[in-house]
Amino acid sequence: MRKCFFIPMALIATVAISSCSSDDDTIADQGPQIDNPVTFVFERNGESSVNFSGQTTRVLMAEEIIDALKDNSLDADTINAMFAHVEGADDFSDLELNASDKSVRSKTAASNDFFSNNATDQALIRADFEGWIQTQVDEVYPRWGELASAGVAGQIADGASTRYITGKGLEMNQVFNKSLIGGLMVDQILNNYISSNVLDNFEAANDSETLVDGKNYTDMEHDWDEAYGYAFGTAQDLADPRPTIGDDDSFLNKYIGRVEGDEDFAGIADDIYQAYKLGRAAIVAKDYTVRNQQAEILRELISEVIGVRAVYYLQQGKAALEQDDLGGGFHDLSEGYGFIYSLQFTRQPNSEAPYFTKAEVDAMLADLMDDGENGLWDVTSETLDALSNTIAAEFDFTVAQAGN
Amino acid sequence: MKKLLALNVVVFFIFACSSSDDSDPTPAAFDRGVMLANWADNIIIPSYEAFSLSLDDLEAAFGNFNTTTDQTNLDALRAAWLEAYMAWQYVSMFETGPAETIGYRSQMNTYPTDVQLILDNITNGGYDFALPSNRDSKGFPALDYLLYGSDSDTAIVDAFDTARLAYVQDIIDDMQANTDQVLSEWNTTYRDAFVNDDGSSASASTDRMVNDLIFYYEKFLRAGKIGIPAGVFSSTQEPTTLEAYYNGEVSNELFQEGLQAVQDFFNGKHFGSSTTGESLSSYLATLEQQSLRDDINAQLTTSRTAIESLDFFRVELETNNPAVDMLAAYDELQKVVPLLKVDMVSAMSIRIDFVDADGD
Repeated sequence: MRKCFFIPMALIATVAISSCSSDDDTIADQGPQIDNPVTFVFERNGESSVNFSGQTTRVLMAEEIIDALKDNSLDADTINAMFAHVEGADDFSDLELNASDKSVRSKTAASNDFFSNNATDQALIRADFEGWIQTQVDEVYPRWGELASAGVAGQIADGASTRYITGKGLEMNQVFNKSLIGGLMVDQILNNYISSNVLDNFEAANDSETLVDGKNYTDMEHDWDEAYGYAFGTAQDLADPRPTIGDDDSFLNKYIGRVEGDEDFAGIADDIYQAYKLGRAAIVAKDYTVRNQQAEILRELISEVIGVRAVYYLQQGKAALEQDDLGGGFHDLSEGYGFIYSLQFTRQPNSEAPYFTKAEVDAMLADLMDDGENGLWDVTSETLDALSNTIAAEFDFTVAQAGN
Repeated sequence: MKKLLALNVVVFFIFACSSSDDSDPTPAAFDRGVMLANWADNIIIPSYEAFSLSLDDLEAAFGNFNTTTDQTNLDALRAAWLEAYMAWQYVSMFETGPAETIGYRSQMNTYPTDVQLILDNITNGGYDFALPSNRDSKGFPALDYLLYGSDSDTAIVDAFDTARLAYVQDIIDDMQANTDQVLSEWNTTYRDAFVNDDGSSASASTDRMVNDLIFYYEKFLRAGKIGIPAGVFSSTQEPTTLEAYYNGEVSNELFQEGLQAVQDFFNGKHFGSSTTGESLSSYLATLEQQSLRDDINAQLTTSRTAIESLDFFRVELETNNPAVDMLAAYDELQKVVPLLKVDMVSAMSIRIDFVDADGD
């Protein structure tokens, strides 16, 4: 695998270099040349100017929360406290997380572009996440040691794995996990930290290279790095996450890796990485046109990751249910539920709009669950295909490409 | 996508050949129903029956151990466990029909077993073996731990108090109940349903069994018994994930038996006999794919030879890192996968209906 990886990387590097040099002809006397490094390494005065520790912290907090959603000894207050952590509270197993002043909840549905003027949806979305925690504790935990059946929560087998589902067939830990990819990571990246609405505020300071007090970076550099951190903040090599893409968290990194692994989308991980890198280099070079171009590329590609996985799980779930594999089907559709939920945080390039609005997402989720009184126990192949087609129609891929 | 495309190309290619070669005789039609009957009557049902008898022997050996809990009866119980575990290797691949419905393989042989869960169950009682979450606390792997999970045989015998004896009885009862259910369905309704569904749709018996066979070969034989313990899918070797880890000396023969069972099935060899009937092998011959048939048999034999030269798997993994000889054997096993999963299914116009697991 890894050997294969180097060839396209080398090719892309060559292409990037040649396209840079051709660009130079036209913009040579308009401003400084962009110095695009080989990996995500940026320095000032001999020291790194990159910092996204706050994003790494939140990803690690989120990991502990989804683990807690599989621990039936916990109550809702405990898990909600992890979600809305306050500095110094003994919420996590990792002491550094406990000491942190960061919180997952405060950055959920909290982007500048989508939520600074929409406290209503923000509150509704946060209530969804808290509701999933409550359902897990109230409905599923009491039935942890019992078999599930239509309308009744409990265990169900999925291959060698055991899944714990609500009476409607949903795994709340999966719903929470996959919805958080949109509500936290995608929203913060696409609608906040790479958004010109946010970054343009720091243009004068960036032009004069005014550093944040006591730091080695400008505000604009730091914002861009924070966007990078939500995708790659737990990578083994923070400067080049590509070799381990997909293995470094349970959230966006993982699913960039999964989509990369589908030969129909191979190359997307590198495309995302290159856009992050060139955008950061453009900020150093004070070239905000190139920065914004990279932002639009990130919006398209990261939104596509969410769209592909939504369709993928709908189709996988359909295939499993058609083979009477209920446990496998419910697991896939629980993941699909979260990816559909995440679609409301995507961003169409060169627009202010998501690929699907909150109302459209809510309607799709209602469709998924309303073929009968017991939700996924009753869902039909026709419904799953219809939802898949609806989603794929808004993107540049087909159901068949995403579905396997 | 690419898989589908490849299949279409192959189909088109075959079609093009046969239409342009009007003068040549077209390959004789292969009767899938005859093959299905051979599978059901001469391989699958006899294998389940033999396995069921081996469980009866296991139960009898445990009865003696339960009455007189001593070293002699422990040795006999262990021998019966191994006999049954070997017989299991001939039925594990048939996860179709009634076995698929109850998740038979995972009920019987989920490993690594969860030692803490076993000990909690014994201490607390009240366990329900029908729960999916108890699959790693029962079956052959739980017996492996209970019969071999200490360096000292004396300690093992001494640990068998009333609760532990009852636990083993419950495990054996559960294994027998599941096996009875699968076998009785084959003997009553499922045999005819299986044999009569002799078409070539994705849900027809041949298509499903071929998918189940390849899935078994790839996930349970190749990966489960060798690849996962040898660290092919992880950053480190994982010897504790070996089948029969606590025994430590029979993982190889259990694997070899499983590989033999796959090859016998491929060749349509009747259970417990050297007679052969219609099979995937003869199907390939009918399709004028003799060289593919021979390649598959040759590669299976090469794999077996590569395994034969290995020390006990547990010793290999605890002595060598990386265990290069074991990895080399794995590579030979892997070479069978494309022959079955690409070449054979293309020739038979069977579509692979499973994908690599997502891993979460």
